[in-house]
Amino acid sequence: MLDTLTAKPVPGAVVLSWTGVVRYLHITPRAFLPMREMPELTLIAGKGIEGDRYMIGREEGFYSHKPEEGRQVTLFEYETLVALKRDHNIDLAPEEHRRNVTVSGVPLTHLVGRQFWLGETLLESTRLSIPCRHIEEITGKAIFDPLINRSGLNCKILQGGTVRVGDAVRNVQ
Amino acid sequence: MSAVPITKVRTIVDKIEDGGAGIKVFSLVDPDHWELPPFKPGAHIDLHLPGGLVRTYSLCNDPADDKRYVVAVKREVEGRGGSIVLHDEVKVGDTIGVMLPRGGLDLSTEVTRFTFVGGGIGVTPFLSAAAWLKRMGRSKFTLHMIARGEPPLADLLAPLRKSGHVVIHDTSSGQRPDIAALVGRPLSDVALACCGPDSMIDDFEQASRDWPADRVHIERFVPPPLPVDPDAKPYVLALAKSKREIVVAAGQTMLSALTDIGIDVPASCCGGICGSCKVDWLEGQPVHRDRVLSPAERERSLLVCVAGSAKDRLVLDL
Ligand code: FES
Repeated sequence: MLDTLTAKPVPGAVVLSWTGVVRYLHITPRAFLPMREMPELTLIAGKGIEGDRYMIGREEGFYSHKPEEGRQVTLFEYETLVALKRDHNIDLAPEEHRRNVTVSGVPLTHLVGRQFWLGETLLESTRLSIPCRHIEEITGKAIFDPLINRSGLNCKILQGGTVRVGDAVRNVQ
Repeated sequence: MSAVPITKVRTIVDKIEDGGAGIKVFSLVDPDHWELPPFKPGAHIDLHLPGGLVRTYSLCNDPADDKRYVVAVKREVEGRGGSIVLHDEVKVGDTIGVMLPRGGLDLSTEVTRFTFVGGGIGVTPFLSAAAWLKRMGRSKFTLHMIARGEPPLADLLAPLRKSGHVVIHDTSSGQRPDIAALVGRPLSDVALACCGPDSMIDDFEQASRDWPADRVHIERFVPPPLPVDPDAKPYVLALAKSKREIVVAAGQTMLSALTDIGIDVPASCCGGICGSCKVDWLEGQPVHRDRVLSPAERERSLLVCVAGSAKDRLVLDL
């Protein structure tokens, strides 16, 4: 089974593709503080997002006791918000999931270990995000269980720049 | 880099104002004046004071005023020391850690009229509720302020007095008002709330005994602790390698008990799914509650963020 997953694409075979879009951008300077919606974010290669809690060197996030190179920017699927409403009748707003970038049409779970373009910036995904029990304390909503395995993606920034709402998200071809 | 997860909201004392009658009003803000975690009208917060004291106070500002936590603190010489530290030691610019706000008044729209009874400094949760109700255009409420002499917190009360929402009951000239008369008979669209000294709350409880329980809110000066599982029991956690024993309080996680004594167990999800806080156990009977360990792994290990103990004592390989 695994062979088919790891096998190299056959030349001339169908290449699956996707293009997504940036729906919302959020940052917060410290753990527990509300996320603030932004029209654009400045991503700095190898470091993080200007003004965000997990910027390397700033370290004011909940997990700052364990700075993580692979968590310079975090993404979340808009489709998960829709699914939470549809399957669990939970209204979760984009500022409540506490990831930085809410995207539509991007298969985040397929991107672990891969590079992709977020607007003009180039990211490399390091691992899927894990939900954190404290999110229930912060939002007052029972979302820990429904977010298991779809709590977003942690990424490194390979090439910095400005990311704006409405920017395209594209595979590296 | 701190050794353990950040569990408090860091605030800075932005302003300290005189509230009269031995009261100081503290405004706490984020260092960058960012929005603070939201709160319900009349919610309370725990302040972590210098010297390790933790004290709970009601927030007195409108939840829409989202960049400040405002608390009014009376200096209580006979108290347990928190108010003295705040009055005598805390200065503008100091850092105070606070926990996320909790509790608050239920101001559901089924209720259209509110009667609030506040004794002295006990008026604070109602200042927050009143500001919120007024802003929401729900102006049918009365705040009975019972105080000796000129009421404290004049600045916070002023807009409410101006709009005719406050009835002042001055007890310096005589008796406390008849609480039963303020409360009246149960009405379907009215809710009651009281905060003040114990004797006033006793009178209020008596006066409101015929009211449906969900329409009566009582706030004591010392709010009840966080709700805990009624079946939860404390137990002793023995650490074999470091030869220490600690008590894990009812409802406390093993992780927080270990963190409290400075043992840094790596933790991430705090919900029993990532496995990063795995520790081996040696004796006792753990209650696992995680979702990742196999039955075989559970024979040896547990996840300290969610596991408990079925017996009085549990020994960990730490
Ligand atoms: S911290 Fe994730 S399992 Fe305990």
